[in-house]
Amino acid sequence: MNTRVLFVSVVTVGALALTACGSKGEAGPSAGSGDTLTLGASVSLTGKLAREGTLTQEGYKLCVEKVNAKGGVKVGGKTLKLAVSYQDDTSKPDTAAQLVDQFNDQGIKLILGSYGSANTEAQAAVIERNNQVMVDSSGADDKIFAKGYKRTFAVLSPASEYAASIVKALADLASPKPTSVAFLSADDGFSKTAADGGVAAAKAAGFTVTGPELFPNGATDVSSALNKVKGSAPDVIIGSVHLAEGVAIVKQVKELGLKPKAIGETVAPPTPDFVTTLGAAADGVLGSSQWTKAVSGKDDYFGDASAYDADIQKAFGHAAGYHNAEASAACLALVLATEKAGSTDPTAVRDALAALDVTTFFGRVKFDATGKNVTKPMVVIQIQGGKAVTVWPKDMAEGSLVWPALGS
Amino acid sequence: MTGFLQAVAYGLLQGGLLALVAVGFSLVWGVMNVVNLSHGAFVVLGAYVGLLVNQRLGLDPFLGMFVAAVALFALGYVVQRFVINLVVNGPIFITLLLTFGLELLLTQGMNIAFTANYQGIQTTYAGTSFAVAGVQIPVGRLLAFVLSVVVTVALVAVMNRTRVGMSIMATGMDRGAARLMGIRARHVYALTFGIAAGLAGMAGTMIGMVGTFNPASAGGFTLLSFVIAVLGGLGNMYGALAGGMLIGLVQALGGYFLSGTWVNALAFLVLILVLMFRPSGLVGKAFYSARLEV
Repeated sequence: MNTRVLFVSVVTVGALALTACGSKGEAGPSAGSGDTLTLGASVSLTGKLAREGTLTQEGYKLCVEKVNAKGGVKVGGKTLKLAVSYQDDTSKPDTAAQLVDQFNDQGIKLILGSYGSANTEAQAAVIERNNQVMVDSSGADDKIFAKGYKRTFAVLSPASEYAASIVKALADLASPKPTSVAFLSADDGFSKTAADGGVAAAKAAGFTVTGPELFPNGATDVSSALNKVKGSAPDVIIGSVHLAEGVAIVKQVKELGLKPKAIGETVAPPTPDFVTTLGAAADGVLGSSQWTKAVSGKDDYFGDASAYDADIQKAFGHAAGYHNAEASAACLALVLATEKAGSTDPTAVRDALAALDVTTFFGRVKFDATGKNVTKPMVVIQIQGGKAVTVWPKDMAEGSLVWPALGS
Repeated sequence: MTGFLQAVAYGLLQGGLLALVAVGFSLVWGVMNVVNLSHGAFVVLGAYVGLLVNQRLGLDPFLGMFVAAVALFALGYVVQRFVINLVVNGPIFITLLLTFGLELLLTQGMNIAFTANYQGIQTTYAGTSFAVAGVQIPVGRLLAFVLSVVVTVALVAVMNRTRVGMSIMATGMDRGAARLMGIRARHVYALTFGIAAGLAGMAGTMIGMVGTFNPASAGGFTLLSFVIAVLGGLGNMYGALAGGMLIGLVQALGGYFLSGTWVNALAFLVLILVLMFRPSGLVGKAFYSARLEV
């Protein structure tokens, strides 16, 4: 019996060790080796951000394919093939930061961000210390850019715009204009920053504001927070959320018998799962997005937004979401800056990024002194007949706002 | 006041569902002294089975849950008989390690098979609700709650009235004596584990109907099961029901009076308080204190 116990425990420990090793992967090639330019990307392929992490990796992969189809990256008279060394950070900020260190040890100085603000924030500190340079594809929390870092640049609009853009769209388009807005938010840095931005915009637009009421990040039951705003019978409920909480809000607004004219949510509605999980109940819900295929602007690698959508569809079998697009845009910004710098030296690339001003399929990419992309507007979508239709800003609108957004 | 009552109603309904999640975990711990860290993965797997039969065959979740229960029972039986049984007499650390490994395998397996996308089982009725004295009662959650209570009562009846149930209890109390009476302990253990997994599968289908899930939800269910099982008293099925309701209430009222992530800490605070004043759980004597290890 004892040998059997021993055997099984050894096998178990061995399996655990293998799993742990698997997530770190093997050592990749070092940066400027020969004719290849290798970027480092820690991506969340397992763990709680696995879904968004996979979409991010798809965006990076398409970028590599497109750049190499054009020959590669032209650096000071040489043309280098683009490659990305991927490592799984298991959705954990600590691991994401360690992986940036590992890339540095391998001589990889040019880094593409992991998924989400928590991971990116942890990485940014290490990037600064190691004199690497990172283009952030999805860390939108304004906090990342309030620390005086000089080497992290984000292609996406900051968190404070996420809920604010929905408020602005409603103030612009809804008629008769709603008068009261209740804010709900997940209890994490990014979501709270987004909710605070929304509250400020709502007050500026003259709405009566309730909240934000907080619930734990990842909650699948948000009834307590809804319960608290139920008394004020708000015209509009805006949730600063991720997918799980976003789905819960729509379900439980109905369960609890609230009758808002509209529900708006950051992050969740544009993702395909939102409609597949909620079915018809998703109809009418408003959401903000970093990018949709209605965004104007084009570049030499990806063409315009609808060409990008078609390419993602061809390569990965689903419509392009903004997670894909922001990742491809981050990779593109890093490539363009490297070409402009004429060198793969991280400091030269950093300076080129700081001066970058290009129009892409993702919209305009130009960074302010803190590294945020403040030139690009967020777009607002509404789920209509199971599809995300861009309704704001007006010059990019694919359709008009259905108002009141929710049937009853 | 209505807000308070609404929170109470929601908490009780949610608590019943949590009890169904935890009752199998508690049974396995009580009878076999195995802390099954893969329990949450069984719950999520049950949700996927319910989703698949709903999408492919159009089965309502209340029928689909039986498919999930049977599938998970079979899986649980096999896993116990051929894997966990190898170490069931080993130190608790070894069974912890083994079930932890199983959890990793199952969760990552589901990641590969079903992707990490969030899913939900759609029905026409689960999202509707009716009002009782100003308090909204959601239909889906009410049905899931009723099911939990019925299943728990039925389980207790099976344990106390049937030969299978009594051999499970007997093996849990004194394995040596049970063997001398002609009970095959290996088979009984596998049955117990299978029943626990089957119940987890049912609970998973219900969770899929009222909420959302993805493979990463597994850990959360294991943790809640742990708290509820300890609260209720290990192996005590009515205890699991009481523990589940208490946790559901605490979370709902915590969310109503406090803000944000504090709610998560409250469940454990309650655990500490209950263990300080009633060390063997809410409902009577802990089952395993009657155990004789031979």
